[in-house]
Amino acid sequence: MTKIFLLFNDDNAKSQVQSALLAKKDVEIMDSIGEIDDVLLQINNFMPDIILIENGYNNCEFVIRQLKSSSLNQDTQIILLLNKHESSDVLNLADGFIEYPLNENILISTIESHFKIKKSLDRLTENNKELSRSLYQLNVLYNTSSQFSGTLNTSRLYDIMIEAMEKTLSFDVSCVLILNSQGNPVFNLNTIHVPSENLIDALKIRSILNYRNALEKESSFTSFDLENIDIVQKTKQTRSSRIFGIDTISFDSLFAPIKIGDEFFGVVELFRQTPFQNEDVTCFQSIIHQVALPLRSAKLYEEISDANKKLEKLEKLKSEFVSIVSHELRTPLTPINNSLEIVLSEQAGEITPEVRNFVSMAKRNIQRLSGIIEDLLDLSRIQTGKLDFKYKTVDITPSLELLHKTFIQVANEKNISINLDIKEQLPEIYADIRRIEQIFSNLVSNAIKFTADNGKIDINVDTIYANEINLDNLVNPVVVPNGKYIRVCVSDNGIGIKKEDIPKIFDKFSQIESSLNRNKGGVGLGLTITKQLIDFHLGAIEVISEEQNGATFAVYLPFYDDLKVFEMDLSRALTNNDEVGILKIKFNSDNNLIEELKENKLLNLTKLFKELQIVCDNQTQYFAFIPKVSLSSFEALFLTLNEYCSKLSQNGCDIILSKAHSKKDGADAAKIMKILIGE
Amino acid sequence: MKKILIVDDEMDIVETLSFMLKAKGFDCVCAYDGEEGLNLAKAINPDLVILDVMMPKINGYKICRLLKFDNKYKNIPIIMITARSQDEDKLIGEETGADEYITKPFEFSEVLEKINKYLA
Repeated sequence: MTKIFLLFNDDNAKSQVQSALLAKKDVEIMDSIGEIDDVLLQINNFMPDIILIENGYNNCEFVIRQLKSSSLNQDTQIILLLNKHESSDVLNLADGFIEYPLNENILISTIESHFKIKKSLDRLTENNKELSRSLYQLNVLYNTSSQFSGTLNTSRLYDIMIEAMEKTLSFDVSCVLILNSQGNPVFNLNTIHVPSENLIDALKIRSILNYRNALEKESSFTSFDLENIDIVQKTKQTRSSRIFGIDTISFDSLFAPIKIGDEFFGVVELFRQTPFQNEDVTCFQSIIHQVALPLRSAKLYEEISDANKKLEKLEKLKSEFVSIVSHELRTPLTPINNSLEIVLSEQAGEITPEVRNFVSMAKRNIQRLSGIIEDLLDLSRIQTGKLDFKYKTVDITPSLELLHKTFIQVANEKNISINLDIKEQLPEIYADIRRIEQIFSNLVSNAIKFTADNGKIDINVDTIYANEINLDNLVNPVVVPNGKYIRVCVSDNGIGIKKEDIPKIFDKFSQIESSLNRNKGGVGLGLTITKQLIDFHLGAIEVISEEQNGATFAVYLPFYDDLKVFEMDLSRALTNNDEVGILKIKFNSDNNLIEELKENKLLNLTKLFKELQIVCDNQTQYFAFIPKVSLSSFEALFLTLNEYCSKLSQNGCDIILSKAHSKKDGADAAKIMKILIGE
Repeated sequence: MKKILIVDDEMDIVETLSFMLKAKGFDCVCAYDGEEGLNLAKAINPDLVILDVMMPKINGYKICRLLKFDNKYKNIPIIMITARSQDEDKLIGEETGADEYITKPFEFSEVLEKINKYLA
């Protein structure tokens, strides 16, 4: 059927054309009636394939221009009828022409060929439309996939999925039945118009059936019924009067289960009044397929973070447990200790030498028990970050001398000689003196413990340049290369340590684990605590020992000569968000120090701070950092110095260690430390 | 005779401590919870107070503050007995004004040394 519209002045010519067409072809013909505007309207409604227009028709040129510029009829073939040899300006606007006097064969064949052109153009337009639609779907799919990869939040993933389907498939109704993170079923209903109650119920039942069919393991499908399903319902046009009734279910539909491998997440079904095309199906499957992978990741992520939370809680519980138990033990120990003291003092009556012997034994063991509890508490405090340090610039000489005096008494009991030799005037260091005393007290009492009667203990103290330290025996090789250190060596000629056991002695409870036949007191926490305390002072410890040949523990404590800790309060920096600590370090001209620094000092700093952000304005230095930094827990960022930092670097500091301000300007940097490197 | 007030809900600690202090020639008055301790401190005006930290009714730090910020009692020396527990840690933060601290378990000689600093 060819639709032809006629625009004629000459009625004779018109009827001639009309009868010729009707005789020879399957045509639908419409004639023009009325004024020019009415005629254009008639053409728009009729949507003809071909328009036959006489050259002499009123406003012929205007009509043709109007038609050619309208999007509705731009492909409509316009054929001009004109007299032989007549020329017209309109000729080049039209798609073809026929000359008077009319030849019927020419008329028919012209009409036919233009009809073919019109049909080809229609197909082309249709294809173009499909192409641009596919392109659009592709675009949405692309965006969707990048959105999917951007989140691990399950409900957000479903939102993205529904949004993508809405854009690409323009559904009337979408039903998604899934389990939420608590494992409860949720029915997600999106509609264009308000759905009727009947429809909601019908769709719900349908989804449940779909779910049941899609789920292979019937057994895990237990309590799905209409009542216990949460409904999340969204309607796009709430104000439209149209309501989706039960008949909506007879719309064309697409269904798919959301699953990947054995993992099943739920079912999706779409309804649309206009039938879905092949490419719609492909698009739909692609979206469903795309959402499954991130859903699985999200599920795994949830599981992992749950497990992590549990672990963290357990770890905290453990520390709290140790702390509570230890302190609960102290209280009953007090009256036991006091009572024994009273008995020994004979204030409660005279005692025989045998009683004195046994009560003294009880008293000694109470003291040992107290020591163990103290160690346990210290360790749990170190682990929970609750051990408080009071750093200041101190001379450790008096402490070492006092310690020596105290231990002479203890050593005398085993007839062990103990010598302190401070070889030079010691510089002041930046330390918590109580902790320094604890370090050496642990080492000396260990030496006494593991040295036989009549043995010998030497405590030698001097200073040493970092490059003279033999890194091979360091337990934690963390030395700032051009720094200077105080070295305290505690040597004994006791039973020594097997070479393979040396790395283990700093582990928690190592004594308990390693030797069943041990006959020494203590639970093996002393060295663990000692090492941690040394770490907190940015120092190092070295062990040299052979079995049966004594042991030497050397402690290196940094003092800052050209390497000066300036305004640095590590303990406060650890606990107080607004504290700023500054490490003043001079760099070599060729950035070599950075290379060395990352090996040593920085790794040490990671032990102090859980998260560090490195900020520096020198690219060479920055890139020198990256390899080592990425191995540790640092978060590395390349930033230029901001005003705040440059103000600090005016003090001539090369590295600034600061805790970001907890105020709003720091935003997420609140808990992140910064190391700033300036020239 | 110098009068010492011992406040601790652990009766055994109070008993052993007061026994030894009496043997050393001190007059000892004992209280077994915070409220009783505070009332006794105000009533008898002792020469020195030995105070436990974790106690029912009123904790030791609070009693210490109440006495130290009262002009009538602020000159009484106070020795705190602490178990360095987590519960105690939560109470720290404000100035208590205590003169001395002793950690449980303690040696009697340690206590005597501190007492003699104030009452010798």
